[in-house]
Amino acid sequence: MIGGALSWLRARGRGGNAEAAQEVRRWILAVYAKETLEVIRDRRTLLVMIVLPALLMPMVILGISYLAQRQQQQIQTVVPRVAVVGQAPALIHLAYASKLIAPVRAKDPTAALRQRQVLAVVEIPKNFETIVARNGQAHVGILYDATDSESAAARGKVVDLLSRYSQEIVAARLAARHINPRDLLPVVLDQHNVATQRQQSGQLLASLLPFLLAMWAVVGGMSVAVDLAAGEKERGTLESLLITPPSREAIVLGKFLSVVTASMGGVIVVLLAMMVSLRWGYPYMLHTTQKVNISLPIGTAIVMLGVALLFSALVSAVQLAISIYARSPREAQQYITPLYFVTVLPGLAVQFVSDWARSPWAYLTPVLNAFFSFQELLLGTVNWGHLFLAAVSCAFYAALALEVAIALMSREGVIFRV
Amino acid sequence: MTDHEVLVEAENLEKRFRRYHAVRGVSFRCYAGEVFGLLGPNGAGKTTTIRMLTTVLRPTAGVARIAGHDVVHEAGTVRRLIGVLPENAGIYGRLTARDVIRYAGRLYGVPPDLLRSRLASIAEALELTAHLDRLTDTFSKGMKQKVNIARALIHNPPVVFLDEPTSGLDVISARSVRDFIERFKQEGRCVIMSTHVMEEAERLCDRVAIVAGGRIRAEGRLTDLQARTGLGLEEIFVQLVEQTVA
Ligand SMILES: Nc1ncnc2c1ncn2[C@@H]1O[C@H](COP(=O)(O)OP(=O)(O)OP(=O)(O)O)[C@@H](O)[C@H]1O
Ligand SMILES: [Mg+2]
Repeated sequence: MIGGALSWLRARGRGGNAEAAQEVRRWILAVYAKETLEVIRDRRTLLVMIVLPALLMPMVILGISYLAQRQQQQIQTVVPRVAVVGQAPALIHLAYASKLIAPVRAKDPTAALRQRQVLAVVEIPKNFETIVARNGQAHVGILYDATDSESAAARGKVVDLLSRYSQEIVAARLAARHINPRDLLPVVLDQHNVATQRQQSGQLLASLLPFLLAMWAVVGGMSVAVDLAAGEKERGTLESLLITPPSREAIVLGKFLSVVTASMGGVIVVLLAMMVSLRWGYPYMLHTTQKVNISLPIGTAIVMLGVALLFSALVSAVQLAISIYARSPREAQQYITPLYFVTVLPGLAVQFVSDWARSPWAYLTPVLNAFFSFQELLLGTVNWGHLFLAAVSCAFYAALALEVAIALMSREGVIFRV
Repeated sequence: MTDHEVLVEAENLEKRFRRYHAVRGVSFRCYAGEVFGLLGPNGAGKTTTIRMLTTVLRPTAGVARIAGHDVVHEAGTVRRLIGVLPENAGIYGRLTARDVIRYAGRLYGVPPDLLRSRLASIAEALELTAHLDRLTDTFSKGMKQKVNIARALIHNPPVVFLDEPTSGLDVISARSVRDFIERFKQEGRCVIMSTHVMEEAERLCDRVAIVAGGRIRAEGRLTDLQARTGLGLEEIFVQLVEQTVA
């Protein structure tokens, strides 16, 4: 990290001779060491950076998948109450026998559906059984609420029930004509899901992990960034610092590295907590289905950390620039909060724009590029060209934000803002 | 005076902020082994002048040199030559006094051995030794000020700027800070301090400049000023300031 920052510094054409470069390195290290010592001495920051994600992540990851599973199970096992309007004794009988739905009577079925007393309503036409008996065709209506997943599931069960009933009638009619029902069904479907467990678990991870990583890359460095620039202004220590020999570049770089360290601290804790809870926590939750091995391979995790480092460098540089600009920590916090949403929300959106993932632009756009890279890594569909684009553009934006931070630190109007 | 080295030189210094012309042509010279006082009412431009001399503000016009080095074009060299106690200087509360002073030493590039011995002797002189390993958050205002003075001196600068070094301190703390300033003088440093306290100026300063409205209204040895006007420093000060306002 420090090496990278230094070579970047040299690339800017400063510190021509070795001695000057040595001095710059000493300054950066001095600032970095002091800032990091202050972070370590600050219990609150450590709490937010390490303890909170370590406790919260397993709860979020396991909690969400547990609830999703529980709902899935409930939908499958529960027999939904369905209001039946009209007369259809044979259908009702089949409903009881098949245990697909629990038919009930309701005075006002629509209201009952709205109040969730029933999950669907079946409307049987007049003379239903007579029509069926006379080889006619009857139209049965289903009312359900598409926004309610339980109601949608109940609808599925009603459809199942009706098609079974229909099949029984068909069978009876064919039998009356001495035709074997098999003769009318030349093709039988056998469906298999070919997605591997890696892909399935990747899907789960891909929808959650980038969001969580981005969140902690921002949150981990936030309080540190606010404290070490705007905080110095407020406490009146900044002037004493600027009076010392280190260049503004060295001061900003030292502080930047400290923010990146905090941010990466958060990211690493999240990643570890995620891996641990998936490895050892997840299997315990699946009592019913077969044992699923959802995990994050070490190699993938390491490449992800590399991407996360570049992402965190960008976020940290921006936070630092904001903090230098702000008059007080309070003001810095106010600017950083919207930044937080701007960086974290694409994490949720990325799943819904997966078609963008094929365009190189997606890998050149700040923030989005990191999310798409995370997604590829998690789904095991890595394209190294994409990854390279994302890494280079991430580093470029981070350097740009650092330049802004340095420029701000060099402006007296910003340092002594009134 | 001329037998002493000129360490600080200001020539027609001016500072114009966006809306306010804070310093309007200030010139003076200070020499090794003297304490020079900047006296003036609130808003006179003392802090702004000190900030220009200490490289944190860029003069709008005029020149300033520290030991012959231009504060704008040779800021790096100047910073190594000066020790500064800014106005209302804060402190890193989560660090110990030793951490704070050592940090300054590292920024000034003081070699580790020298840093250790110098830290010990400065702490001794400021009676900080027993408290070096306490977090500065637990310190009184006077103690914090002493730590800040120590951090300004860790690179043994020939020129020291102190912006209201005793403001907000009780009698005892103020006294020990003053004693320390006396020592700077004996060590041959050039000290430039600003203050509101007339007795402090009378006790410590060899020469003073009375600043009001961004200009120097009177300058010279205290004894000369008093002989010339037949007044005490406070009366001189009040008269000059009232003239400026009028
Ligand atoms: N960064 C700034 N932007 C705009 N105006 C400023 C700035 N800094 C100082 N001033 C103004 O310049 C004038 C001189 O301020 P300065 O701090 O130099 O006075 P001072 O003599 O140190 O006063 P005090 O005794 O109160 O410390 C004041 O009117 C102040 O409001
Ligand atoms: Mg002042």
